[in-house]
Amino acid sequence: MVSNDLNNSSTPNWASILGVVAIMLGVFLTAMHGTELMKQSVLTSNMPASGEMPAADCPLGELDEEGITLEQCEFLVDYVQGVAQATPEGFPGTMMTLALIGTLLAFASVIIGGALVNYTSWSSMAAVVVFAGLAIVDLLQFATVVNAGPILRGMYLWSILLWFILHLMLLVGALAGRHTEAARIA
Amino acid sequence: MQRQGFNRAVVVLHWLLAVSIFFLFISSWWMMGLPLPSEELQFRAFPFQLHKNIGLTLVVLLIVMLYMRFKYPPAPPSAQDMTPWMHKSAILAHIAIYGLIFFVCISGYLSSAHTKWDTVVWWSFTLPRIAEANEDMNEFWGELHTYSAWILLALVAVHVSGAIYHSYRNDGIIRRMMRW
Repeated sequence: MVSNDLNNSSTPNWASILGVVAIMLGVFLTAMHGTELMKQSVLTSNMPASGEMPAADCPLGELDEEGITLEQCEFLVDYVQGVAQATPEGFPGTMMTLALIGTLLAFASVIIGGALVNYTSWSSMAAVVVFAGLAIVDLLQFATVVNAGPILRGMYLWSILLWFILHLMLLVGALAGRHTEAARIA
Repeated sequence: MQRQGFNRAVVVLHWLLAVSIFFLFISSWWMMGLPLPSEELQFRAFPFQLHKNIGLTLVVLLIVMLYMRFKYPPAPPSAQDMTPWMHKSAILAHIAIYGLIFFVCISGYLSSAHTKWDTVVWWSFTLPRIAEANEDMNEFWGELHTYSAWILLALVAVHVSGAIYHSYRNDGIIRRMMRW
């Protein structure tokens, strides 16, 4: 005998699709914000206090193993130093705070996505709140990065804009779905 | 009485595994661009330890998930939701994904076990060494780790496409793994 009929015709199509897309993007974004959190933390805590990086250590065996040339190995150190020099004061702290909030909201969007698929009574309202929260995090990251100089802008801006557009689409989808349901019930 | 959907513990573990796997992919692409380690350059220390720890934990979580999956099996999907060939393909894809997760994690551990760097389990105790440092073995397992991870990513893309397909159809399949 089988319990809980899952062919739930009471779930509107928009909620099923929006829910799954929110879950997929939520899983991906949780990982991205989590990586950003670690990135800022690692770069900040491992920079020498003097700001001067030591010379690269590039033994031949390690180069083979990594599949890189001596020049590339030396560039890895120069690159980290360049990024550190291009980073304004306060940037790592702001990005870590936003990445932490983003990680939590992105994970929440996975849960909300599941609720949308099951079309629970609170799901569409919660979706509006979480998607709006994620869009606000994107906007705050945009404001932080846009004033951080050309190097950081080149690294971050396109991906922040892409996520902002995706979150805007999810938010508008949830709002449109709520309006459709309200009209259907009325 | 048999449930149509998966057991709740399986659902939670599935999503934890999903987030962890994506985190491992994305963070590893970044951490491989950090300076090679030396006494003064320790940028790689934390990300690599975290990568190894999440990977080893994934093996444990996957074993628990599979145990729960077989102890509390869901009812097979209805024929209207999934044709027999789709069902067979889905089973094969799942077996391949589970096998690859194990293989990626184990090959990553074996690659790391042949370096001079120890694995400290969640910063609490050091795993006993199973091998001496050996560059050839490290490279061998490292390459298997990398290529199997790419294959896993491709299969995950197929798995995600299947989920989106069922969400567009708004059938019962997608709700089996989304029981809140």
